[in-house]
Amino acid sequence: MENKISLTIDGKKIETVKGKTVLEVARENNFYIPTLCYHARTGKAGKCRACLVQVEGLMALKESCALPANDGMVINTNTPAILDLRKMIVEMHLSNGEHNCISCERNGNCELQDMAYHCGIERPHFPIEHATMALDESSEGIIRNPNKCIQCGRCVRACNHNVMHEVLDFGWRSGDMRVICDDDKPMGESSCVQCGECAQVCPVGALTFKNAKGIGQHWTLDKTKVICTYCGVGCSIDMYTKDNKYVYSLGTEENWEQQTNKGMLCVKGRFGFDFLNREDRLKTPLIRKNGKLEEASWDEALDLVASKFSDIKAKHGAGALGFFTSARVTNEENYSVMRFARGVVGTNNIDHCARL
Amino acid sequence: MKEEIKIQIEKLMAKYPKKESAIMPALTLVQKANNNNLTKEHVEEIADLIGVSYSRAYGVATYYSMFNIDKSVGKYHLQVDTNIPATLMGAVKIFNHISTKLGIKHGETTPDGLFTLSHVECLASCGTCPVVQVNDKYYELMTIEKVDMLIDSLRKGIMPELPVEYNWGSKCNVLLKNMGVKDSTSIEVYKKNGGYQVLPKALKLKPEEVIAEVKNSMLRGRGGAGFPTGVKWGFIPKDNKKPVYLICNADEGEPGTFKDRQIMAYDPHLLIEGMAISAYALGCSLSFIYIRGEFSWIADILEKAIEEAKADGQLKNLDIIVHQGAGTYICGEETALIESIEGKRGLPRMKPPFPAVEGLYNCPTIVNNVESLASVPFIIDKGADAFKAWGSQGGYGFKLFGVSGAVKKPGVYECPMGISYKELIEMAGGYTGKIKGVIVGGLSVPILTPEELEKNGGLKMDYESCANFGTALGSGGVMVISDEFSIPEIAVRTIKFYNHESCGQCTPCRMGSGMIVHLLDNILKGKGEKGDIEKVLWLCDNIKGKTLCPTGEAYASPIKVMLTKFRKDFESLIK
Repeated sequence: MENKISLTIDGKKIETVKGKTVLEVARENNFYIPTLCYHARTGKAGKCRACLVQVEGLMALKESCALPANDGMVINTNTPAILDLRKMIVEMHLSNGEHNCISCERNGNCELQDMAYHCGIERPHFPIEHATMALDESSEGIIRNPNKCIQCGRCVRACNHNVMHEVLDFGWRSGDMRVICDDDKPMGESSCVQCGECAQVCPVGALTFKNAKGIGQHWTLDKTKVICTYCGVGCSIDMYTKDNKYVYSLGTEENWEQQTNKGMLCVKGRFGFDFLNREDRLKTPLIRKNGKLEEASWDEALDLVASKFSDIKAKHGAGALGFFTSARVTNEENYSVMRFARGVVGTNNIDHCARL
Repeated sequence: MKEEIKIQIEKLMAKYPKKESAIMPALTLVQKANNNNLTKEHVEEIADLIGVSYSRAYGVATYYSMFNIDKSVGKYHLQVDTNIPATLMGAVKIFNHISTKLGIKHGETTPDGLFTLSHVECLASCGTCPVVQVNDKYYELMTIEKVDMLIDSLRKGIMPELPVEYNWGSKCNVLLKNMGVKDSTSIEVYKKNGGYQVLPKALKLKPEEVIAEVKNSMLRGRGGAGFPTGVKWGFIPKDNKKPVYLICNADEGEPGTFKDRQIMAYDPHLLIEGMAISAYALGCSLSFIYIRGEFSWIADILEKAIEEAKADGQLKNLDIIVHQGAGTYICGEETALIESIEGKRGLPRMKPPFPAVEGLYNCPTIVNNVESLASVPFIIDKGADAFKAWGSQGGYGFKLFGVSGAVKKPGVYECPMGISYKELIEMAGGYTGKIKGVIVGGLSVPILTPEELEKNGGLKMDYESCANFGTALGSGGVMVISDEFSIPEIAVRTIKFYNHESCGQCTPCRMGSGMIVHLLDNILKGKGEKGDIEKVLWLCDNIKGKTLCPTGEAYASPIKVMLTKFRKDFESLIK
């Protein structure tokens, strides 16, 4: 097969196929290369410099996130120069920001923390005094903490290229550079639609979900893959729960390319599940008996509906019945209702809420 | 925003292949029409008109330092260049004098709203420092008396004319041929002196013959990196079907460099003829001159010259758009420059792809320095061999050198490549005072001590000799530092410049420059601690070669060399 290539990473020979980056090949084979700006769904950016590797025969270190894996390449991921560079990057972030892990929402689930752990850095050696910036808690669902931001640009890229809302960008430059919403408005006053994609791709605790604040550290949560019930697109959601209570949702990252939503969610799929934790949430059908709604089984409810339909059809004809379907179910389900209405009941009175 | 301004912005949008490119010119236009100020509302209106998001427009407006967004700047914005060459020539005294006289500090405005004072980075006026830029106008070779005259005149509402005489000299008489000639910017004078005679000659050659001649001349890019121009031209894919763009890099921002402006301000047609020949060779029908925003008066000269050349039938198959920057050193880097023309924040791109394959608007693009392009007519006229008659293997041809600092006649000198450093300094009238060190190729190259300059028969001003001396020819901006200044002081000002100009996108450059400022400033203020020098050296070693663009190296190398060669000067400040 001409597509097959082999390369060497840290002395180990690896067989793979063409079309991947060195980073992808390395990660598939469990080599540790940190990335703070690269994310599979936002792509290469070249900003964090954490993923630089040494390619034998080349003078300069190369960004593994952008480097195509070629046959015969010899790559080193842990030369002294690379380890020193990673240390410096961690030192820089820890010195310039406020990365206090202990009560951070992202504790245990933070890419900077991982990198610091790998580098063995507990506290920075270059303490720099800096002014603390105010949190932006103006929006419904997202807390922005500029003091934890590492300017990796994932959120900007995600906002402009993944979900294409074009709300986020960078403002100013050099040490003053920071992420802005519109022309530097608080997020809640900006044109942000709260899809939460930015918070999902954030590698650190700069963008976190308000509804998850203080509920539980990452390792205390359970992840369940579900399909969103809000519409027929069928987005995959990784739903995080604690003690069977909903905490927050992420678009499924695993095999994201195969998901209909490509890892993204809209505001409903992201934040629309707080009803799951409500005591008065409907869990069974209700049937009105003597003017009062009472819990019933599905069989009981469906039998009732079937008998009422039959009665109406017998008394007034099929034309007295109409079927109204919903965007919250799939195309297939909508089709089934149509077949049921026309074929079984015998009416053409069919409509759909999306036409409203 | 007034209707007429909107119409002008729409015209700008139509001028470019992509309308987003009009963002910067639109911001400049609106700022001018609004007494030097921009508000969020202006940015929103511009964004709506051009059809981009508010965040993108605001990101651009806040990125470039010349946009006064929500800053409220006075009627006269006094901008004093305090970068290294200016500092060496007394700019700090001028700044302090203005500050005391007007009772305002950096960034402040007088209560009457008349004056705002700022210290700014290099204005490419190094030979004629101290320089004060008032709104768009340069006032050069300022003295305390001249500053007083200037302020008195501005109080009366008059922008005075304070002409200065430039020092210059030429041993080759090519690039500075028309310097000092009356009305040298006019097409009549240019043609009378032999101008526009090479272009028809070039048009009779095949494009590949023109490229071959430039390649054979061994002309190396005069912007600083020294990449062979002809080789760069050859990188355009052979099977290319997209438009090809030629961009003239006139962002001249490397401190110590003030050569390109002489060509543009005194011989604009030489550049235009060079561009026309080069564009023909590259198959380009639309080209750009990206000129730094502070040179808006030179941009006017260029615009006028382009109109003249068009009217004279010289630019039959070529249009040239003059695109003004807005105060960013990094836009001198070719990919950042391309982003800037595209109406974005001027951030360097990751390479590959290289611009010759995918540059402006994703099309093959060649970015060449002003001096490189202005050298092309000579090469095509007289031939590669005539060009190579000057200089040697270490660098061929003629080159402009800017000499500033402690010399009697700071100015621009056109010399053959490989001229001895000693001879160049003699042209500039010799030293004034005792010399502590010399930076020979713009601020990004390592400093040399007077003793080093004398070694091995003395430094020669070409690529090879400079490399052998552990430095680089860079842009040929020679800054002579006398013992009036301390190296730690120079180092702090140097790193402050790079920190101010770091685009911010890559971690080592953004944070590294800030941390070195912090550490070196502490040392200078007597607050340094043992081990601080090692920390800076560790940072320099780790930054060098690891950043997205060459800026990290541009400060890591010179700072490291200052620390190692003058370590005692730093150590003596640490208790």
